[in-house]
Amino acid sequence: MRSKINFYLIEYALNALLREKYKSFFIMSIFTLLTFLLTSVFFITNSIKYELQSTVDTLPQIIVQKIKAGRHYDIDESVVDDVLDIAGVDDAVARVWGYYYFENAGVNFSIVGIDAYEKQYKKSFENIIEDFDFATLEQTPSMVVGRGVKEIMKQSYYDEYFNFIKPDGSLKRVDVAGVFDGQTQLESNDMIVMPKETLKEIFGMDEMQATDIVVKVKNPQEVSTVAAKIKLIYPDTRIITTQDLQISYQNIFDYKSGIFLALFVIAIFTFFIIIYDKASGLSSEEKREIGILKAIGWKIDDILKEKFYEAFILSLFAYLLGVILALLYVYLFQAPILRDIFVGYSQLKTSFELPFIFDLHTLFLVFFLSVPVYVAAIIIPSWKIATLEADEVIR
Amino acid sequence: MIELKNVNKNYEVNKNNIVNALQNINISIQEGELFVLKGASGSGKSTVLSLIAALSKPTSGEVIVDAKQISKLPDNFASEYRRDNIGFIFQKYNLIPTLSVSENILLPLVPLNLPAQEAQQKLQRVMKMFDISHKAEAVVKNLSGGEQQRVAIARANVNDPKIIIADEPTANLDERLSLSFIEILKELKALKKTIVIATHDPLFFNLDCVDREIELHKGNILS
Repeated sequence: MRSKINFYLIEYALNALLREKYKSFFIMSIFTLLTFLLTSVFFITNSIKYELQSTVDTLPQIIVQKIKAGRHYDIDESVVDDVLDIAGVDDAVARVWGYYYFENAGVNFSIVGIDAYEKQYKKSFENIIEDFDFATLEQTPSMVVGRGVKEIMKQSYYDEYFNFIKPDGSLKRVDVAGVFDGQTQLESNDMIVMPKETLKEIFGMDEMQATDIVVKVKNPQEVSTVAAKIKLIYPDTRIITTQDLQISYQNIFDYKSGIFLALFVIAIFTFFIIIYDKASGLSSEEKREIGILKAIGWKIDDILKEKFYEAFILSLFAYLLGVILALLYVYLFQAPILRDIFVGYSQLKTSFELPFIFDLHTLFLVFFLSVPVYVAAIIIPSWKIATLEADEVIR
Repeated sequence: MIELKNVNKNYEVNKNNIVNALQNINISIQEGELFVLKGASGSGKSTVLSLIAALSKPTSGEVIVDAKQISKLPDNFASEYRRDNIGFIFQKYNLIPTLSVSENILLPLVPLNLPAQEAQQKLQRVMKMFDISHKAEAVVKNLSGGEQQRVAIARANVNDPKIIIADEPTANLDERLSLSFIEILKELKALKKTIVIATHDPLFFNLDCVDREIELHKGNILS
């Protein structure tokens, strides 16, 4: 019984690729490189988007900051009581946080002060409270650090403690009590968590002051209403909602993606011109071969099927190779060079790992952007030749 | 039976230059006949062969094979007609040089998707018939002219066609190989094949096995 699929045609197509091994190898290399780059970019984008979304999800619904002369100043903790009186507010917490420039490594660490007896505004802090005895940390000034911070400090031989320089120039020794993993690495990698009192001392803040106030609203639909009410009571504050932050984060990321995509479109265009030129510019030998096949009884669709198999085998193989290389490059080697375009070259950001996000849509998108385009680039010129009279082609 | 009725064929070199390759040609070839078309280069011999093989279409007139007008066949039907009825031996053999002997011979069978055993039987039959079995796996570009011609003849016969067409079959062969080709023609004629040969090689003129010959000159029949 005859098979519906003509394996002789597939065998012929494979042989044709092997007969033109240098040309096939060149096209496959270009194609693999293109697929690899395109897939890598999508993988990196997906991972960073996931990280950003996770970060935004952990942010407070409303942040209240004191503004003086257009700059952010410390706010009185007494504001918390007034905010709690507003209808719809579930909770309000005064935060103490800031950045500390670690000169030895040239990076900024984020430092957050937490109080074990307060309700935590982040799940990750609740985990820290559970994992570490904060009452003890307050007695012998200690801190819990992110993995990135630990590594950088270790490089400067600060393995067990660190001496923070206070605004008056004196030193404050804080012991490293442990290392924590946050919900997202972007968030936690450069973070230090310590008791509020210790941090206020390091930052030189008054006891009854905080960096800002975070507000939790019972009904998420009422966030903007509550934000407006706070602004009405305290006109000298800046009210930031989650939505504002989300837009701000997205804008930065989209800006970087936009620049890259603009450059990438040019690169893709160039690649396709090379591929089209190499693949579709049928040589006189190839034209002659099509003519011979027609002359000995091959129909136009037999020739097109053979050309389809030829193009599909090569492009599918190159696509799979490109995707596998991209997986290794992005998730095993953490996308050196390319990642910096999206994350930024800043020295201020400590390293983080790209989380593995398997997105079938991405793979389909890259497939449809590459394989059918290449197949068409092969089929169309072959069809043009195959529809000519065989006699004309052979002559 | 093959019939060409009032056939004209023009080639457009460019808009101002049209070559009349054939002018009002009438030829009739009987089944089982060995028919020779003589004439110098450019006389129109190859054009007649192309029309019989449906490799090209006449500008006007009719080409009829076994009562079917093949000059108006759509492209795919013309391919089918060639595949089932015609074995074409080209002047330059038109083999695929990077394929082996057996791969070249099997080419006409590829679209048929025959069971492997049947395809192998057909291959072995023609390789044995034209004494090329010993070179089955050799790459065609490494073969001598005579061997390449045998491969071309084997390929033309692998489908067991009724009509064999040969265009200047001895143009690239020495006398010994040309005589050997004539022996092959006799074998094919014995198999009741209709054979049409275009040649200007005197070896073919007045051969016993040749049934009829006509001479073409500048697209016209001389005799």
